[in-house]
Amino acid sequence: MDFGWTDRDQAFRARVRDFLAQELPSDWDEIRRHGPGSKEQTEFSLEFCPKLASARLLVPHWPTAWGGGELSTWEHFILGEEMWAAGEPRGAQYMNVNWIGPTLMRFGSEEQRRAFIPQMAAGAAIWCQGFSEPDAGSDLAALRTRAVLDGDHYVINGSKIWTSYAGLAEHCFLLARTAGAPGDKSGITIFLVPMSTDGIEVRSIPSLIGHGDIHETFFTDVRIPATSRLGGEGEAWSIITYSLANERVGIPRYELSSRVLGDMVAALKQRGQFRDSAVQARAGAAHAACEAARLLVYRVVDQLANGRDPDADANIARVAVIRADHAVTDFGLDFLPDTFSGTGHPAHLAHHERAIVAGIAAGAAEIQLSLVARRHLDLPREAC
Amino acid sequence: MRFQPNEDQSTFFTVLEQMMGSGGAGWRAGEDWVRFDWSAEFDQLLEENGFFDCAAEEDLGAVAAADMVFCLASLPVTLECAASSLLRPQFFPHLPRPLAVIEDEASAVRFLPVARSILHIGEDGVRAALIEPMMVEPVESIFAYPMGVLRDAPIQWMKIDADPHLVSENWRIAIAAELAGALKGGLESVLAHVRDRKQFGRPLGSFQTIQHRLAGAASSIEAARLLVLKAAQSLDPVDSATALGYVQDASTDIVYDLHQFMGAMGLTLEHPLHRWTYRARLLRSSLGGALGNMQLASVRRWGEA
Repeated sequence: MDFGWTDRDQAFRARVRDFLAQELPSDWDEIRRHGPGSKEQTEFSLEFCPKLASARLLVPHWPTAWGGGELSTWEHFILGEEMWAAGEPRGAQYMNVNWIGPTLMRFGSEEQRRAFIPQMAAGAAIWCQGFSEPDAGSDLAALRTRAVLDGDHYVINGSKIWTSYAGLAEHCFLLARTAGAPGDKSGITIFLVPMSTDGIEVRSIPSLIGHGDIHETFFTDVRIPATSRLGGEGEAWSIITYSLANERVGIPRYELSSRVLGDMVAALKQRGQFRDSAVQARAGAAHAACEAARLLVYRVVDQLANGRDPDADANIARVAVIRADHAVTDFGLDFLPDTFSGTGHPAHLAHHERAIVAGIAAGAAEIQLSLVARRHLDLPREAC
Repeated sequence: MRFQPNEDQSTFFTVLEQMMGSGGAGWRAGEDWVRFDWSAEFDQLLEENGFFDCAAEEDLGAVAAADMVFCLASLPVTLECAASSLLRPQFFPHLPRPLAVIEDEASAVRFLPVARSILHIGEDGVRAALIEPMMVEPVESIFAYPMGVLRDAPIQWMKIDADPHLVSENWRIAIAAELAGALKGGLESVLAHVRDRKQFGRPLGSFQTIQHRLAGAASSIEAARLLVLKAAQSLDPVDSATALGYVQDASTDIVYDLHQFMGAMGLTLEHPLHRWTYRARLLRSSLGGALGNMQLASVRRWGEA
C-alpha cells in the first residue's frame, strides 16, 4: 500500500494545471457560473477542447490510433480531477472523452467509428445522453421509448427527460426499446441519433442547477437509418454496463469541493471569522469528508488501473463523494451565506448548484446505498 | 498510489487472519459477566510471533501495523495492540508490554490492570515506567477494557528520547485505527444478526431503512480505515487529526444504529455487541474527541486566523 504519487503522475498533473492557468480566460468565472450545460459553457468548450486536443490533453488515455497517447488510468483520472476542479471547461465533451468515445471504439461499426471518433478527439463534438424518461429514472430498464424497424430504418417514438446538453448537442446516445415490455432489459437497444433529425423536439427545463442544463426531449416518428444502431438489438444493457464501468466513480467532485472549501476558509480568515473554534471544527469536518471521498475513489481507480472490477467499492465511494459535496456547501451556507447571492463568489455558487445534483444524477444516493447493502454487506434483496 | 498490499503484507495478513480465526480470539462471556475479555493467551501468541513489531519491518511498515490494529480491534476479545504496534517498535522497543498510555491523569486508564509498562506523552517529553500489578487499582467501568488507576506508589519514570509530537501523532493514528476496527467488528456482528433474524416474515436486513443505515456505516468505516492507513504512511499532522476526527464523528451514529438493529439482544451481556460499542464509546473522546480533532485538523491545515 502506498498513498504517494509517482513522479510521472505529478508531472502530468503539473502539465494539466499549467495548461489551465494559461488557457482559461480572465472571464472564466463568469462563463462557468452558467453551468456545464449552458450555452455559454458549451460554446466555450468548442474553443477550449480543440486547444486541449492540440496539447494532447483531450484524450490522452485513448489508443494512439484514435488520437490518444495511451496514458494510464491514473493520468486519465488526474485529468478529470483538474478539469472538474476548474469548473469543467470541457462542458459536455467530458462524456465523449470518458465513455462515449471508448464505447464507440469497442462496439461501433467501422463506419460509426470513422464518423464520430475523430470529431470527438478534435474537441468538436457535442453529445447528449438519452437515458432517463418520465417513468424510468432510477429504474432505467422501465424505459418505454420505442424503436420499430421499418425497412432499412427505425422509427422512434417516445420521450426522454433530464437530458443534459440536449439543447446544443449534435447527437444523442439514445436508449430505446426494440422489444419487450417496460422492465425488460433484454429489449433495449442503443441508437446514435443526429439531433437535427425531423421529429425531435427539445424543451429546456428551468432548474436550480444552471441554465440549459436539463431538458425534455420528444421523439415523434423520428426515422433514422438502421445503421445508426450501436451493436445488436437488445444489447444496450451489456454495452452501457461496460460504458459506465469507465464512469464507476462518476465525476471527481471532491476535488472541487476541497478547493472551494479552501477558498471559503480564506474568505472567512479575511473577515476575521475563522478564529471561532466552531467554524474551525466544521471546516475540519468538511475537509475530512473530502479526504474520505478522495481515498475511497482512489481505491476504485487503483482497481480499474489493475484491471479489477471495483464492484461495490464504487458505490461506497459514491456515497462518500455525495457527503463531501454537501459538507462543503453546507459549511458555506452556514458561515458565508452572502457569497451565494448577488455579486458573491461565482465558484461557491457553482459548487452549490453542482452539490445539489450530486446525490441524484447518475444513480441516486439511495440506489448506491442499496447496492452497497446487497453487494458489499451481503444483505437480502429488499422486499416490496 | 497503490491500495493493494505488497507480497510480504499479503502473507502477513493471511497468517494474522488464520490466527484471528483460532480459539482464544473469539467470543466468550466473561466470568461474573465482566464487560471485557482480556485474552492473555492470544496476546502472548501475537507477541511471541512478532506481530506487534511489524512496523519496524521494512516491507511491512507502519501502514501494515495500522491495518493490523484495525483488524485486531474488530475481534470480540480486548487486545492491547494500538500502542504496542504503532508506538513501541519505533520509540521504545525494549519496554515490556502490554502498555498503558496515560492521556489524562484524572481518569481511569485502559489496560492499566494488565500493563507491564506505562507511558506519559506530554508537551515537554515522553516518559515511561515499569509497573507491577500491586501499583494498580482496578476500576469497574462500563467500557469494554480493563481499566485502572495508579495507586500512590512511587514510580520510577524514565525519559524517552523521542519527539513528543511525533509520538503523539502516532498515538492519534493508533487510536483512530482501534476505533475504526471496533466499529467494523460491531458492524459485522449486527450484519450477521440482520441476515438471520426474521420479523414480519422476512429478514431484518431486507428492510431498506436498515440496509441504508448499515451501508452508510460501512462507507464511513471503509473511509476511516483508508484515512488511518494514509496517515500512518504520511505522518502528516493534518492527516492524523483528520483520521481520528472523522472516525470519532462517525462513531456516534454508527454505535446508535448498531444497537438499534440488534434490538434487545444487544442490551445483554450474553451478546458480544457491547464488546465493540463500549470500546468505541470510550475512544470517541480520546485526544480531544471529534470536535477537538476536527478543529485541530483545520488549524493545522489553514492556521488559526
